[in-house]
Amino acid sequence: MGKIKKVLSSSKMVTVVWVLGFIAVWEIGATIVGFTKRTPENVLPHIYQIFGSMFSTKLINGSQTALQLVLSNAGVTLLRAGIGLVIGAAIGFLLAVLMSRFKIVEKTIFPYLMIIQMIPILGMAPIILAITKDIDQSRIIIAAILTFYPVATNTLAGFKSVEKEKQDLMYSLAASRYQIYKKLLLPTSLPYLFSGLKIAAPMAITASILVDTLQGSGGLGTLLSQSLKHAMSIYVFWQIVFVSAAIGILSYNLMSLLEKITSPYAKNKKKGEIK
Amino acid sequence: MKNIREKLSKFDFSAILAPVLFGVFIMILWQTQLLHKLIGTDVFTLPLPGRIVRIILDNSPTILQNTGATLIAALGGLLFGSLLGYLLGVLAAIFPKWGSGGLTIVSAFNAVPIIAIAPILNNLTKSISDEPQIRSMVAKILVVTLTSMIPMSVNAYRGLTNVKPFSEDLMKSLAASNWEIFSKLRLPNSVEYIFTALRISVPGAVISALVSEYFAEFIIGVGRQIRENIVLAQYATAWSYITVACLVGIILYVLLLIAEHAVLKKRR
Repeated sequence: MGKIKKVLSSSKMVTVVWVLGFIAVWEIGATIVGFTKRTPENVLPHIYQIFGSMFSTKLINGSQTALQLVLSNAGVTLLRAGIGLVIGAAIGFLLAVLMSRFKIVEKTIFPYLMIIQMIPILGMAPIILAITKDIDQSRIIIAAILTFYPVATNTLAGFKSVEKEKQDLMYSLAASRYQIYKKLLLPTSLPYLFSGLKIAAPMAITASILVDTLQGSGGLGTLLSQSLKHAMSIYVFWQIVFVSAAIGILSYNLMSLLEKITSPYAKNKKKGEIK
Repeated sequence: MKNIREKLSKFDFSAILAPVLFGVFIMILWQTQLLHKLIGTDVFTLPLPGRIVRIILDNSPTILQNTGATLIAALGGLLFGSLLGYLLGVLAAIFPKWGSGGLTIVSAFNAVPIIAIAPILNNLTKSISDEPQIRSMVAKILVVTLTSMIPMSVNAYRGLTNVKPFSEDLMKSLAASNWEIFSKLRLPNSVEYIFTALRISVPGAVISALVSEYFAEFIIGVGRQIRENIVLAQYATAWSYITVACLVGIILYVLLLIAEHAVLKKRR
């Protein structure tokens, strides 16, 4: 009896109950919609219908089932978001190093980093497409822009969190600049870098999907707008909703995992972190 | 007088001069079309700043109307989302065991792309009104509500529970009622966290409003105009709407910073 109680009160159980509650609310909504709407699958289908459609073997475009189609397009979207994320993170990191090294660079750039945070970059997606005229490039560029500023600001905060005494100590032991960065600043700033990446990763995916919708050339967004216009089964749309939610959450978890691998010794406490 | 001079001498002028010079430098590159050569584009897709400003001035009535629609969606959603988020935070603080688990789920929604939410809400709100103008607006406000609810609920919970150690025990030992603990300890403690949440959700609300306009039925709003004008290859007009969108984002954020300064200063 005691064991059951322990399982019931564990934190995993709480999550499970919440997920079940969410499913219940969805299903109640779907049932109501099912009775009141002419085409309930357009508005809110039952969850089992969506998952059912994932496992149906009916071919949708001649060669692929719905799930294969969605997943292959998700791969395309993820790849582009990933490239943009890596480029953006690299630029952001370099910028943070420059800002920590040269005060004048920080003074010049930092206000603009703050301003970029305030302006809606996603709204600029169409114009970046118009400038580059290439859908792949613009996807990567927007994902990179969305990535570089959280990474830059967070990494800079990481560099600044290093105690002055430690730097002085290394300096007095005749450590070179490179050694100070490699052995002291970099390891300390890693958790900050990752909290930047955790913000950036889901955003890069959103950006990639949004840019997809602007021009048809494969990717989740293209598929999303096609299925919304009923060019194919509406369940493709619902699968995309679930798949994009899943990859958004997974991308966040992937960053947490990478953080644990690269800096297992990191303390949980972070100072001056920008969220 | 002496005071002001002291302040001025302490003030670091390079902190303002450097970024301003940088901005002027970019503007010169832009106006002299060197920027166009750098990124390989022409004056047609990236018009000169002067032309963008002129278009904004010439079309100010239309632009104002679209900006109004975007502002209603963004601010309406921000208001409802923040209230709802705070309420969720309060509920989570009252029932911490179940609440914090629930908030984990809520923050998982943070990773769900807005693109996936906007069309669902569009479909859900189809039957609300016969006027496409009204039902699109409801859908947009709902999208923004969802996106701004998440940071507020998480931060409100933090603010309501991260009270100074032993302060709660002290109040309990002084026979304070639960309501007194809430209103005199937890509530004031959460104010700072409300602004932390708003710093995330104000820019977020503008972005969600713009993106949800892309999918809305009724064609209005700054975000939609950016897209429509690019489809028509009217890049200069699209740029003027982008400029407006950036201004809206910056102005709202600055207003927030001013409000934060005013409120938190009074408390100290």
